[in-house]
Amino acid sequence: MKRLLGVALGILTAIGGFVDIGDLVTNAVVGSRFGLSLVWVVGVGVLGICLFANMSGRVAAASGRATFEVIRERLGPRAGLANLSASFLINLMTVTAEIGGVALALQLASSVHYLLWIPVAALAVWLVVWRVKFSIMENVTGLLGLTLIVFAVALFLLKPDWGSLAGQALAPAVPAEETVPTYWYYAIALFGAAMTPYEVFFFSSGAVEEGWSIRDLVQSRVNVLVGFPLGGLLSVAIAGCAAVVLLPAGIAVTSLSQVVLPVAEGGGKVGLAFVLVGLVAATFGAALETTLSSGYTLAQFFGWSWGKFRRPAQAARFHLAMIICLFIGLAVLATGVDPVLVTEYSVVFSAIALPLTYLPILIVANDPQYMGQHVNGRPVNVLAMVYLVIILAASLAAIPLMIVTGAGS
Amino acid sequence: MILGDLLGVDVHDDGGARLGRVADARFVVDGGPGQLLAEARLLGLVVSPHSAASFLGYERTGLRQPWPLPSIFRWRHRGSFLVLWEDILMIGSSGVRLREGFTAYSPALD
Repeated sequence: MKRLLGVALGILTAIGGFVDIGDLVTNAVVGSRFGLSLVWVVGVGVLGICLFANMSGRVAAASGRATFEVIRERLGPRAGLANLSASFLINLMTVTAEIGGVALALQLASSVHYLLWIPVAALAVWLVVWRVKFSIMENVTGLLGLTLIVFAVALFLLKPDWGSLAGQALAPAVPAEETVPTYWYYAIALFGAAMTPYEVFFFSSGAVEEGWSIRDLVQSRVNVLVGFPLGGLLSVAIAGCAAVVLLPAGIAVTSLSQVVLPVAEGGGKVGLAFVLVGLVAATFGAALETTLSSGYTLAQFFGWSWGKFRRPAQAARFHLAMIICLFIGLAVLATGVDPVLVTEYSVVFSAIALPLTYLPILIVANDPQYMGQHVNGRPVNVLAMVYLVIILAASLAAIPLMIVTGAGS
Repeated sequence: MILGDLLGVDVHDDGGARLGRVADARFVVDGGPGQLLAEARLLGLVVSPHSAASFLGYERTGLRQPWPLPSIFRWRHRGSFLVLWEDILMIGSSGVRLREGFTAYSPALD
């Protein structure tokens, strides 16, 4: 019974923790401009993140060490540094975007300007990273993030023309007012949002934090393979809401208030209350995860002691690195740059950096010295190689498309 | 000079002909007793004619997955060889020179 509860909790937090500011903004932007015609990308992205998160969790469970630690040791400093710089810079951008997202969500709830909320949000993130137990942190933000299901509820309450939505999703076509390069630019953005690198680093470091062993592999697999796709469905619901309300009204999403507009229309005040809680929980949870991820990757590369399971004094450099990252994020946001814009760029840059993140994971997951009998099976390897080709194509196409489309405008 | 300075350095034979670059250093753990393991002893250097990048572990012949990565990495290092410490005439940050009649061993590991 206790085990079953554990599995249920794991799945629920995986769903609630799946959506972050990148998913929220990108799905809403895409829904408001392209309807559901890009929904297939969410599917491709979710399958990809399931594949690599699962691999990364298995590396952690089999070797007892975080994936990035193994990458650094196994592939050497040069490959490790390439991996680190790509992942870390994207991660730093994502930290910035998430903290901005928390502040924007709090602005929606309080009508106090978001710039005033930013220091509060960053301080809160730091306090939780410093003081709160890992499992409590994960479970609370994950469960509260589940309130984002209100996007799916609102979609039903809006009574859309399901036939036309299904038509957009099943027979994707570029809408008349958009160009083909813009369509592909947003396809890459959506892909990057679903496959953000911090998720795999966080997942494997989290496995070490929680002391997973081979016996927990099944549960980890269930969490990923059930939780992430359901989280992906939430992403689709966000895009669906935007497609039903904003697309016909000709509103292209540029702010978080427009993201929640369909929920307010479909779900009224109660819906709005839920979505505000969900937004704060999802962005705050992701802010914690990305902040921790930046500490994890740095500490694991340089060989510092790390982890929330240690007292901060025993992992001083790990904690200091996270404080510095939070300050960098604060400094960027203090310039008044629009967090939604930071988010839009961060997901595209994510896509650019993806090969450097995922190739090493694949190599490590095939090494019997670390994995023993738990190396990748052949079907996983075939699928992973297919994904590496997709990832490489998306990565190479991202910058040219960004220039051609003026970053999607 | 540290070991890191040696990686990527040009390797020449006794007559000055270029053979490749130092891609790796091979150690054996058979020295005097250390803290955890026996002390490591430098067995020799791996010289690669085409690339000084890491083998990424694919010098171990047992690693065949995921296709086609092992073949790609092995192709990048085609013609590479292990030269023993005794066969090295001179080492410097500008180059490594091998003795006349050095033996080129296979860099493969089991």
